[in-house]
Amino acid sequence: MLLDFSQLGWWRIALCAVAGVAVVFLLAPLCLLIALSFDSSQWLQFPPPGWTLQWYREVLADPNWLNSFLTSVELGIVVTLASVFLGLLAGFALARGNFPGREMLRGFFLTPMIMPSIVLGIALYATFLRLHLAGTFLGFVLAHLVLALPFSIVAITSALEQTDKSLEDAAMLCGASLWEARVRVILPAIRHGIFSAAIFSFLTSWDEVVVAIFMASPGLQTLPVRMLGEVRQNLSPDIAVVSSLLVLGTILLMGLTALFNKDSKR
Amino acid sequence: MTLTGTVQTVPPEKRRRRSRGFAPAVPVLTFLLLCFTLPVLALLLRSVMEPHLGLQNYAALLATSTYANVLENTFVISFIVTAITTLIGLPLAWFIAVAPSRVGRFMFGIVILSMWTNLLARTYAWMVLLQDNGPINNFLIWTGIIQNPLPLYGSMAGVVIGMVYIMLPFMVISLRGPLASLDPSMFQAASLCGASRLQSFTRIFLPLLLPGLAAGGLIIFVMSLGYYITPSLLGGAQDMMLAELIAQQVQTLLNWGLAGAASFVLLVVTLTLYAVQARYLAPHGLKRS
Repeated sequence: MLLDFSQLGWWRIALCAVAGVAVVFLLAPLCLLIALSFDSSQWLQFPPPGWTLQWYREVLADPNWLNSFLTSVELGIVVTLASVFLGLLAGFALARGNFPGREMLRGFFLTPMIMPSIVLGIALYATFLRLHLAGTFLGFVLAHLVLALPFSIVAITSALEQTDKSLEDAAMLCGASLWEARVRVILPAIRHGIFSAAIFSFLTSWDEVVVAIFMASPGLQTLPVRMLGEVRQNLSPDIAVVSSLLVLGTILLMGLTALFNKDSKR
Repeated sequence: MTLTGTVQTVPPEKRRRRSRGFAPAVPVLTFLLLCFTLPVLALLLRSVMEPHLGLQNYAALLATSTYANVLENTFVISFIVTAITTLIGLPLAWFIAVAPSRVGRFMFGIVILSMWTNLLARTYAWMVLLQDNGPINNFLIWTGIIQNPLPLYGSMAGVVIGMVYIMLPFMVISLRGPLASLDPSMFQAASLCGASRLQSFTRIFLPLLLPGLAAGGLIIFVMSLGYYITPSLLGGAQDMMLAELIAQQVQTLLNWGLAGAASFVLLVVTLTLYAVQARYLAPHGLKRS
């Protein structure tokens, strides 16, 4: 009765009302961002007195925004590659290995996930200051890798656990070495796991703010760090433009993921 | 989640066998020990070493009224955020589960879209929305509900609104599995036995969803405890939370000892709550999702 939409009676009205309010709540900020990015008033008037593309032109012509965008992209790619590589190593150990303390190791590999990012941020900052890694690209990569790795390990380990180990054995019976079998037979078989590991790693690095604040230097800023700096100073329409572009990117990414999932089900 | 719960699954006779396959884990283990474990331990060590050996930082954290206020604020705000998120998240997840599938999918898409949107983009939107002359206050004044703008921006209300917005998707996702696993025939049986909708809600629906609600609520509570960006951008000085205190100690006061002590407190609470979840809640939550 409670699970059949047509038989909810009065409850249906209440449920629809709450869901409607929740959708407005979820969508309003996103719509506002897009409206503000075309708002002709510099003071973020809403509703806008007129429409303009001026802020888009300013942002796209500003080398600072472009630089931090490129930093974020480069960082994301390097972190993703490293995270998938280490994720595969950890995945083979966890899914195929048989050694004492394996489950403890699995737990340990996932702990960065539950670590409050402020704690990790200042801990790495303190250490990197001593090692002269603070404010360097390498420091950024290492810090983001700590955060991205657990997601990669989870995705790849579960993909490996769902793959039949006899595939590996069969390839080895046919004369392949262990790692040859793993690279040429198992990697193609777990490509969906690798794909989600890559997506999650990239997004983790792309969206990271708190740890990134402590890794950044005035000359090396990721997009979120630069956005935070701008937001702290003034609520300029530039941030609305960057945010709108990010919302657009999210929608494209969701579409891409949906396509990929559909493809993999076939 | 798997911290403690799955250790027993390796039977003892297997452990005694020759171990193999550990080698690939070595680089990963080395990396995490160097870039994760050691830095965190070093930070915690500083809390009892600086400015000199002892527990003075912990004493300061608990005894100084400003810091004690921050601790209290952190728990109060996290609790309010968790409660409101649950109150909105349950009906929303319920609606998504029972609505005609196209509507349900659309709504779930919106939830995911808001979750995947850049955190700063979302927080910036709320900074604009909550201003004294922002859209929300303008609308409320225009309708005549209020005469003077509500102090939303830079207040605890603003922090709570912004954080509920961030956390809501997590509650909807936590409840998706448990809701899908509910058996409709149970509710038919209840109604055949004469139960009203309210009775089946309180006696069947809620008890069956309780593990999911508890798991989602705990995750949201723990995440809120350590949240930094949203409270620091939407709240005022009097609404400071623990993560902001830690950042402030490091960035402006260079007081690493106190930052380490506050980190230790945050870490212990976080790990304890996750351990509780792994022990009592995870088996249900995982099986169903």
